[in-house]
Parts: sequence; C-alpha cells; structure tokens
Amino acid sequence: MPPFGKVLVANRGEIAVRVMKAVKEMGMKAVAVYSEADKYALHVRYADEAYYIGASPALESYLNISHIIDAAEKAHADAVHPGYGFLSENADFAEAVEKAGMTYIGPSAEVMRKIKDKLDGKRYAQLSGVPIAPGSDGPVGTIDEALKIAEKIGYPIMVKAASGGGGVGITKVDTPDQLIDVWERNKRMALQAFGKSDLYIEKAAVNPRHIEFQLIGDKYGSYVVAWERECTIQRRNQKLIEEAPSPAITMEERSRMFEPIMKFGKLIDYFTLGTFETVFSDTSREFYFLELNKRLQVEHPVTEMIFRLDLVKLQIRLAAGEHLPFTQEELNRRAKGSAIEFRINSEDPLNNFTGSSGFITYYREPTGPGVRVDSGVEAGSWVPPFYDSLISKLIVYGEDRQTAVTTAMRALDDYKIGGVKTTIPLYKLIMRDPDFMEGKFSTAYISQKFDSMKEALKKREEMLASLATVVHARGLMRKKGIPSTPQERQGRSSNWKNYGIVLQSSPRVMWG
Amino acid sequence: MKLYRVHSETGDPFVIVHDQKGNKDILKTENAEFEIEYLGQGWREGEYLVKINGEEHRVYVDNGWIVLDNAELFRAERITELPTQEGQSIEEMIRGKEGEVISPLQGRVVQIRVKEGDAVNKGQPLLSVEAMKSETIISAPISGIVEKILVKQGQGVKKGDVLIVIK
Repeated sequence: MPPFGKVLVANRGEIAVRVMKAVKEMGMKAVAVYSEADKYALHVRYADEAYYIGASPALESYLNISHIIDAAEKAHADAVHPGYGFLSENADFAEAVEKAGMTYIGPSAEVMRKIKDKLDGKRYAQLSGVPIAPGSDGPVGTIDEALKIAEKIGYPIMVKAASGGGGVGITKVDTPDQLIDVWERNKRMALQAFGKSDLYIEKAAVNPRHIEFQLIGDKYGSYVVAWERECTIQRRNQKLIEEAPSPAITMEERSRMFEPIMKFGKLIDYFTLGTFETVFSDTSREFYFLELNKRLQVEHPVTEMIFRLDLVKLQIRLAAGEHLPFTQEELNRRAKGSAIEFRINSEDPLNNFTGSSGFITYYREPTGPGVRVDSGVEAGSWVPPFYDSLISKLIVYGEDRQTAVTTAMRALDDYKIGGVKTTIPLYKLIMRDPDFMEGKFSTAYISQKFDSMKEALKKREEMLASLATVVHARGLMRKKGIPSTPQERQGRSSNWKNYGIVLQSSPRVMWG
Repeated sequence: MKLYRVHSETGDPFVIVHDQKGNKDILKTENAEFEIEYLGQGWREGEYLVKINGEEHRVYVDNGWIVLDNAELFRAERITELPTQEGQSIEEMIRGKEGEVISPLQGRVVQIRVKEGDAVNKGQPLLSVEAMKSETIISAPISGIVEKILVKQGQGVKKGDVLIVIK
C-alpha cells in the first residue's frame, strides 16, 4: 500500500523530477507546480498533474506559500515534498502544509523552529557532544566585543550571519583591521538577505575539508547515520563535486561521530532526513560542527549509491510514520564501493562562474554501467535566468574510488551539452589532476588551482574555435551530419525526381 | 593571411589569424597558436581526420556542431572575416587597439560613470553591465582620455562589443 495517494512536489528542475520518480515508483500520483518561466519545463511534463503558481521570479511562485498551498488543495494532494532550496527549510511553509491537513515530507515546523539559525544548532551540538569550533557563544553585539573574542581565539576567523545559508554571509577575516572593515558591511548584508543582522564569530580552520553526515530518523526515536559525504571541492562556498565515502577518514573516525549525532537528533525529536555539515582538519583529525540541514541534500545520490538505498522513498515512508527498516550495524554492512557526484551547472567557469541562461540546443546524456544522471533538462529546454544554475547531476559509481574516477572521465566525455556553458570542461580537468586522484584537497582546491585550469580551459576553447575556422575555410561544414530519416540514409532527401515514375508505375495507373 | 572573428553559439568571440599552407593551417589566437593539418576523410561517414599540433584527432560534423574525439563540442554561430590593415602586427589584430574597452559578458549597460573628454586613471571604474541580476563593473585598462562612448545607458550589449575608446 502506498503511504499517500497524491504527492505535490513544491520545487522545480532536477530535484522535482527526482522526487517524482520515487513518487511514481511507490504507486502514487505526482503533482508539479510551475512558474511562467517553467511552462514547458521537463518537471511539468513529467508529473501526472501540474498547476500554475505565478510569475517567473521565485518570490511570486516557488517561494509563495499561499499559491503552493492553493495548488495542493486544488489537486487534493495528501502530502507535499519540498525538495531542497526554496521553501525546504521554511517552518512557516511546513506549518501551512500541516494546517491544510496534508503531510509535510520533512521535519515538522515545531522541530524546525527549535534550530532556527546556525547559533541554535551550535548550542544543541554542545549539549549532545558534537564538537564545535571555538568562537562566540551567541550573536556578537558590538565591534569591540568582536575584536576581543577574535583576539582570544586567534586569527584567521570566520564572520558568519546567524541566519544565513547556502554559503551566503560568510567572510574569512585575517586581521583586526579587516574585521573592522567587514563588520558593518556584513551586518547590512545579513539584514538585507535574511532579515536579521546577527553575526557571530568562529575560528577558521586552515585548509579544511567539508564533510557532512547523513542522519536518518523515524518518529519513534530510532536513528541511524548513513555515513558521510565529502563535499570539499567548492568554489565560493558552493559545492561542485561530492563523494561518498570520504577518501580522507577512517572507519574509526567516522563511527566516533555516530553517537553524538544521534544524540543531537534525539534532543530535538528530529525525524526523516537531516544532514550535519562539519569541517574536518587533516592535521588535527577533528570534526567541527557547522550546521544542520533539515532537508534532502542536493548530493544525496552518492549516499544512495554506496548503500543501494532510495533516500527519497525512505523520507516519504518515514514522514508517513513508518519505522526505520534497518539498524546501524545492518547499514554499515550495506556500504560498498565509491560514488562521485558532479553538479552540472549552466555557468561559465571562464567568466567567474556567472550563470549562463539560454536554450539547450544539443543534448546527449551518458548512460552505461556505473552512471546515473539526475537531470532537469533535455534537448530544447530553456534554462531561465531566474533560478539556481544547477541543471543536472552526473553520479558515477565504482567498486572503489579509482574505478569511479575512470567511469567519471568516460561519462563526462559522453555528456554533451550545447547552447549554454557548463562546468563539464572544468570537471574533466579535475578528473585528470593527480591531487584529486590521491584525495589530497581542501576547500581551497578550486581557488588554488583555478589559474592554471582557467588557462587550460581558455586554450581548449581557442583550439575548438580554430578548428571551427579550419572546417569552415575548407568547406567541410556543408556535410549534414548523421541522417535521421530513411530517405536521407539512402542519400536522397527529396523524392521529386522519382515521383512521376513511381506514380506511373503504380498498378492504378497501368491497369486503370 | 586572413583575420576571422568566430562567435561561438554561447556568445564568446574569438579573433583568429589564419594562414593556410597546403594541407596545413596555422592559427594564432589570443593565448595560443595551433597548427592544424587536414589529413582527409576518416573511415566513417561524416568523419574527418586532423592533426592538431602533431596529435591526431577525429572530427565529426553534426548539423553545424563540431564534435572532437567524441568528447568536445563546439558550434560557431557565425564566422566573419575582418579587414586587415597594412603594418598591423598580429598581436594588435587579435587584441584590438590598446584603449578599446570590451564588454566581457552579455548584458545591459546600467550605469556610465564617465563622459567623453574625461581623464581616467588605469583601474578606474567606467561603467557597469548587468547580467542575470548581478552587476559587473568594468574599469579602465589604461590611463588616458575618454575619446568615445559607444553605448547608452540601458542598452543591451554582447560579449566582445566595444563599449568605450580611451586614448
């Protein structure tokens, strides 16, 4: 028996399609919502039903709680899945869904309100024994206070907005002068972006890794930790490549974190999926808690691959009140192999990763053993400029990390997208980098290597443009390419020459 | 010798100096130089074989798309020949004149901070171009006097368009 009859997915693009796949497999009906810009989007056509919820800007559509609830009521949905981003961590939205008599697939509004911002998370972490980085215990009021704390814990420090997210509102500060400089500006920025100007200070780890743990819990207080994901390859605090398991930590270090994280979950009565983001230092071998993400993560497929799980289905079942189907020991035994995920963003790596909007005019997806593509686009899709630039995710799996990397090289070569610029060429370079192969990297990886990679990317583009010039100058462009109809295949694109003969030789003409 | 401007279909302009000698083409771009030798038709339909800087590669032409080694994709939106001037060095041809301020991206001009005739210092902000909700400030590449402003506020610009000429 499916737990619900109809599930509305309050999201767009890749994740909406991914959630709908799980919904369909469980024998339920999937409902999409869409904005003006997404009228012809893949997720809208993939769903069993779709409802228009407003104009293109996210504030009027995907972030508009009342429009989404209206659509859910019109569709008679039983449950709402928020995906990630947009309203996925909005307690008001979860509450509105519950009030409308539907199930919210995710933690309850009450649980979300317990850890409203990053500082609440830090407090609970302290209580449950999850290690945290030294810094201020709460929001820091004045610049004098900030300078004093910074002096005590030592530079470099991180100045963070208490209610920030998605890498926004985080600045690294190396000197007192810089702190004075940054303070007022970040306060203003935090107020503008999140409506609250609270800032706090934390000691910055030097060349850390970004490792996150997947907590899964049911409504009855059982928890498991589905190991970790290494999300160290980032640029400007935005993840690009994620993998599981981390090549840097041992089983002993990993399992040391299980107990405190489960305790954290119990403390706030957390259920369904949650992700504990931590930084990990290669030298001190310590994890420091950053924040708890109360939603499905973008990079959930790497965990799914190594455990052969479907986290979305599990999330739906847990939200419906089912029990956790396995224990930590059973889960540990399931872990096998290595998985890597690449975020295919429509961005131009050569132009400071600015978003590239446009029509996808050429599209070939990789397939084959060990390859999974979670895509929100297809040939002819439009990438609108209003939303996130993530258009697709390529996930590869291998029996070990080495195999996964070789599969990734092949799959990245096979993945051809034309019409918008993507991050694929950059990933091809990273896959051939010995430091990546050996797992030697930190969050500074992209910024450290970017100059040489940029040069290589630039040269590659110029080479292709030169080749195009040669092909053009030699008149080779006129070839039409791979024929798609039987007539073309026989070397005839039109039948006008034979039409008369065919007509006259037909029995009708010959025999009256 | 010919000078080409190649616009890729994602809007990137490339200026290429092209020299043909028999089967070999010498191409100079902003950052590199390529020797591309045309070896002829490949074994398969629609396939060409080329040598790029001595290395053999396969090229497919698929409805205007160029697929290199079944891994790289490129499409030239348009290829135009540019007039060449006597006595101009190759570097000048590729880079354009020294004081030309070129738009690094496609967008809309939101603010012009200088007037014609203004003296500007190297690195001084000249104008800003908005694309996908983020503003990019373009600064002066050299010190000098603003000779000409070729765009108006609110005008849409393409990547590679000349915006301002400084002398």
